[in-house]
Amino acid sequence: MTDSKYFTTTKKGEIFELKAELNSDKKEKKKEAVKKVIASMTVGKDVSALFPDVVNCMQTDNLELKKLVYLYLMNYAKSQPDMAIMAVNTFVKDCEDPNPLIRALAVRTMGCIRVDKITEYLCEPLRKCLKDEDPYVRKTAAVCVAKLHDINAQLVEDQGFLDTLKDLISDSNPMVVANAVAALSEIAESHPNSNLLDLNPQTINKLLTALNECTEWGQIFILDCLANYTPRDDRESQSICERVTPRLSHANSAVVLSAVKVLMKFMEMLPKDLDYYGTLLKKLAPPLVTLLSAEPELQYVALRNINLIVQKRPEILKHEMKVFFVKYNDPIYVKLEKLDIMIRLASQANIAQVLAELKEYATEVDVDFVRKAVRAIGRCAIKVEQSAERCVSTLLDLIQTKVNYVVQEAIVVIKDIFRKYPNKYESVIATLCENLDSLDEPEARAAMIWIVGEYAERIDNADELLESFLEGFHDESTQVQLQLLTAIVKLFLKKPTETQELVQQVLSLATQDSDNPDLRDRGYIYWRLLSTDPVAAKEVVLAEKPLISEETDLIEPTLLEELICHIGTLASVYHKPPSAFVEGSRGVQHRRIPPRAGSVESAESPEVGQSGPSEAPSAVIPSQGDLLGDLLNLDLAPPTTTVPSVQPSMQMGAMDLLGGGLDSLMGDESDTLGGDIGGSPSMGAGLGAAPTAMPAALGGVPPVGGGLGDLFDLGGGVGMPTGFYVVPKTLWLPAMKAKGLEISGTFARRGGIIQMDMSLTNKAMSVMTDFAIQFNRNSFGLAPAGPLQVLTPLSPNQTIDVSLPLSTTGPVMKMEPLNNLQVAVKNNIDVFYFSCQFPLSLLFVEDGKMERQVFLATWKDIPNDNEAQFQIKDIHLNSDAASNKLQGSNIFTIAKRTVEGQDMLYQSIKLTNSIWVLAEMRVQTGNPNYTLSIKCRAPEVCQFVYQCYEMVLKN
Amino acid sequence: MISQIFILSSKGDHLIYKDFRGEASKDSINVFYEMVTALSGDQPPVVMTHKDHHFIHVRQGGLYWVASTKTNPSPFTIIEFLNRLAALTKDYCGSLSEKSVRMNFALIYELLDEMVDFGYIQTTSTDILKNFIQTEAVSSKPFSLFDLSNVGLFGAETQQSKVAPSVAASRPIMSSRGEQGGKNEIFVDVIERLSVVIGSNGVLMKADIQGEIRIKCFLPTCSEMRIGLNEELNIGKSQLKGYSSAVRVDECRFHQAVKLDEFDTFRILKVCPSQGEQTVMQYQLCDELLCAPPFQLFPSVEKDYVNRVLIFLKLRCDLPPKSTALNVSITVPVPKGSVSMSQELSSPDQTAELQPKSKALLWEIPRFPGGAQLSALFKVDVPGLSSASLLEVGPVSMSFELPKQTCTGLQIRFLRLSPTQTGLSQRWVRYVTHSDSYTIRI
Repeated sequence: MTDSKYFTTTKKGEIFELKAELNSDKKEKKKEAVKKVIASMTVGKDVSALFPDVVNCMQTDNLELKKLVYLYLMNYAKSQPDMAIMAVNTFVKDCEDPNPLIRALAVRTMGCIRVDKITEYLCEPLRKCLKDEDPYVRKTAAVCVAKLHDINAQLVEDQGFLDTLKDLISDSNPMVVANAVAALSEIAESHPNSNLLDLNPQTINKLLTALNECTEWGQIFILDCLANYTPRDDRESQSICERVTPRLSHANSAVVLSAVKVLMKFMEMLPKDLDYYGTLLKKLAPPLVTLLSAEPELQYVALRNINLIVQKRPEILKHEMKVFFVKYNDPIYVKLEKLDIMIRLASQANIAQVLAELKEYATEVDVDFVRKAVRAIGRCAIKVEQSAERCVSTLLDLIQTKVNYVVQEAIVVIKDIFRKYPNKYESVIATLCENLDSLDEPEARAAMIWIVGEYAERIDNADELLESFLEGFHDESTQVQLQLLTAIVKLFLKKPTETQELVQQVLSLATQDSDNPDLRDRGYIYWRLLSTDPVAAKEVVLAEKPLISEETDLIEPTLLEELICHIGTLASVYHKPPSAFVEGSRGVQHRRIPPRAGSVESAESPEVGQSGPSEAPSAVIPSQGDLLGDLLNLDLAPPTTTVPSVQPSMQMGAMDLLGGGLDSLMGDESDTLGGDIGGSPSMGAGLGAAPTAMPAALGGVPPVGGGLGDLFDLGGGVGMPTGFYVVPKTLWLPAMKAKGLEISGTFARRGGIIQMDMSLTNKAMSVMTDFAIQFNRNSFGLAPAGPLQVLTPLSPNQTIDVSLPLSTTGPVMKMEPLNNLQVAVKNNIDVFYFSCQFPLSLLFVEDGKMERQVFLATWKDIPNDNEAQFQIKDIHLNSDAASNKLQGSNIFTIAKRTVEGQDMLYQSIKLTNSIWVLAEMRVQTGNPNYTLSIKCRAPEVCQFVYQCYEMVLKN
Repeated sequence: MISQIFILSSKGDHLIYKDFRGEASKDSINVFYEMVTALSGDQPPVVMTHKDHHFIHVRQGGLYWVASTKTNPSPFTIIEFLNRLAALTKDYCGSLSEKSVRMNFALIYELLDEMVDFGYIQTTSTDILKNFIQTEAVSSKPFSLFDLSNVGLFGAETQQSKVAPSVAASRPIMSSRGEQGGKNEIFVDVIERLSVVIGSNGVLMKADIQGEIRIKCFLPTCSEMRIGLNEELNIGKSQLKGYSSAVRVDECRFHQAVKLDEFDTFRILKVCPSQGEQTVMQYQLCDELLCAPPFQLFPSVEKDYVNRVLIFLKLRCDLPPKSTALNVSITVPVPKGSVSMSQELSSPDQTAELQPKSKALLWEIPRFPGGAQLSALFKVDVPGLSSASLLEVGPVSMSFELPKQTCTGLQIRFLRLSPTQTGLSQRWVRYVTHSDSYTIRI
């Protein structure tokens, strides 16, 4: 007889039939019926209607039937909580059963029934089971505590189960210990600050003892828990390592990886001159190699982990290059990972072997793999200088195959090799030029154009080559267009006589016929450079480029450290920290490798620096700098364009470089050039490869002679209007700086509309027309909602008042200070720049009144770190008057409390970008000084909110 | 921590579904199935993400064995566990198929209940599990000696049907309680996988062997078994080799139940085998072969007429004359433009064809005796042939199996059960070497 009949198709009244069978007197029949019910449940049929009938079968001494009923209960109890109570008595009774199997079964099942009402009945049985004489029951109960904690954490704490659980760590049975550790680890994750898993040398010792005895799965729990421990000194670290090392030869690869994690972390604490350190390094290699003999899926996971380990400690696997050679039957994802590791391990010692392999790979069938192999050859050349020559000749051989994608990849990497070893391998250029026609991918075309431009003086027909590209200029991708522009300018600077026509052609193509701001701006800059000072142009465009660094795709060191602490987990497969993909607070703790023991540290540190893979030779600027170097040179280097360009550190870099760059650019002629350089209003949209870095740079340039910088000094620190009160206009742009145009202005919020009121005065001798205005990106996305309405021409000595409505939907970029606004105004004479600061109250919206409950919850929810306190001095208003005044500026008082003569006002503000600001203002009668506490999820706005308070209250 | 476990048929039918933590809904099954069927060949299939839900799966017996999680667990743990789950299902139900899983769903639920609690893996050992499991397995088919579709070493397909009582190996280990069904048998298999790269000059460039000793045990009572390996077995790279043809492996790993107190001196593994299948030892050898590689190829590739490539392959089998290689197949990539092929083979049982999809020619030889040499000539028509496209020929890859052979030379000297079984117990030792990746560059 088989069970497959349970899955036969539904007939009418099936539920009815089952009901009858469930209530049958015969045990066999009952069991068959419950099986049928569970079969239906599995395939997704709703059999919840049978709940009472199934529960009736629960009281039985047949264990098999009981298990089946419990299985059903776990599934449906949640949807039938009232009915589930019916089962409670049986559960409680079963927890007292003489048979330990039944006791454990009952406690396990009760924990899985996630119904609140049941949990209270669960406590007593659970308490007993935690102290049961049978380890099977105890280990089940230990897990049950975690289950209960998940449903009702408070209950678990109140009932003192956590202490009992801690005691179980010292249990005699290793299975119980392992489960207790697992349960505690999970509970501890939701209480990051509690000292639940109090790891001290004694408990560690107990864990290490249990490690040798428990099942492989228990070993994983214990090892993972050990990895969170920070040993007190290197001696303890070593002794733990010694006791963990035997796990490396376990057959279960999960155990091996968990052990590797512990060792990798604790090794960090060992002094490197210790013999044991070397021994440990040697012991780590074989188990990692063995992981590669598993099936492809496990291999892939292993390779992702090895990739991390190799970046952290390349010495472990430096002799094992051969195991990473690809096999023809590896799936492509395994091949690509192996290739990556091969390059990381490549060194002078093994480069010959690696190159021979790579050359073989380059003739395989899989296109993606071949491409990556060709790139790898280039990376080898850059990494191992001694091999560069052989790499180049290998690449040339590959180009001879004329396989289209191989040729293109090869050209891209040869460009990188040229950048690393300038003026060394130019002899190959002729061969490259032969393949010009077959290039159809933008990256390869751009690379080839770069080469032609860079070495224009050695290529006789460079102008012809570039001209041939120019024919289809508008069909090219931006990358190629930018590159072509730069290359032709380079060519012109090198051979000015023959190429004047060409350069004019490309400049006009770039500036007049193109819609792309990057291209247009670059075109303008070249144009003006060339027309004003060809010598400076030469210095800028043909400047010596910084060398590129060898490792472009290393994981950032802090991330790498965190990932090392998560070896063997999903994080190590994704190469992302767990916080990036695990929801909620669970597992978001950032883990760090412990620092090396104190006494050894000072002696060690120089060596540590050298061995770290992130350390680049000092002559080489790391890749981010490389990008900026390019910016200066206005060259687009394809491999580095993908570097994310929004990190603050980078912007800093950009400022410096550009500051210097503009400085030298402007020099003596800053008057003309400073005005000219912003010829296009969209200048702020960015130059070249780092569009977001550029505007920040503009803002950050220190005053340079009479250049751009001066313009920014003007707007600062003026009292601003609010609500109905508008501060008098202040001078934003003096006539001296703007060829006679003077602008003063202020901001106002009227009926929910933000307005910028300006007075334009013509102090020059000629009529001004064609006014237009544009804002740079700013912190809150302020942008003109319409054009600047100056309808009549502005004659000399005339003043006109305009009011410009603003929207908050423009592009956003954080400014310093936060309320800074950079403005460009254009007229028929020129474009002028100034910056001003708007009061934050401009952005306080009318519906900023928060519900009381929401306020309370939010106040609690925002961490105390985000709270800022301020003193507002010399205010002679009572709290009600102050509250009214503030309301006019959309600062709403939600509640007021009076405690001992002190009025506490609770206020809320909402910004246009939906940021909520909560405030508590304390007003003491008779004391002119108010105390203001501001809480906001974005704490940087607090300072500016305080300024608004002060301004509103004082006016 | 495992959130859910489910088993799906290849068509996506739900066979088993168990939710351990109540944090995800049953919809995730369908989400998973959609994702896995939409996966393209070059994406790593192991770990897939949908929102904050991560799926890890393996394929065994044509079924998807899937675990889902919302935390950051170890994929190794989960993959190992899923493999064990599949192995246990096979041990309990006799074979692994949609049918056997469907028929034994109650048993599998019961197993899962004991193996995982609240997402924590508890145990996968048959010794422990047999104390708890109540449900009896239902066998999917009656044993029949005529049923040859199921012939094969467990875990390794081979043609050794004459040697091993394979049918016995695919029956449930847990026969009905109380009655003694079947014989007392134990199988010990030494399985090696060989990967070799031979350079275009005929020099051995790389050779790796991965091996394992697996046992499958049908003995109802657990008694200690002693497995004696070659006494001259050396472990590790540093050890000096004697003049005798010592057997050497680089590294080995053992099942945790193996006692090694006699291993260092006598090379004896002591183990109390649990019922069912388990790997007691895994070992590997890198960069060294004690014997010559089993096959040598002497290729020549020429351009014949305008549009034709001549590929002449001479293949020699360097096994000892008594041995035979089985199911030898040779794959040669040919230029992409190839349209047709004609061939001259030396015997009628061989076949050869041009596979238009993978642009390769496949030459198959069912039996290849040691010491023999075979040759074949292929004429491939390639319109628009250029000299560069000749470079597209190669590298040659081979797959084969070598029954009764181990490339490391590892042997099992003896197999002793103690205390000696009262009933007749049969002990079987089998050896096989498979090709993993055998590449010959041209």
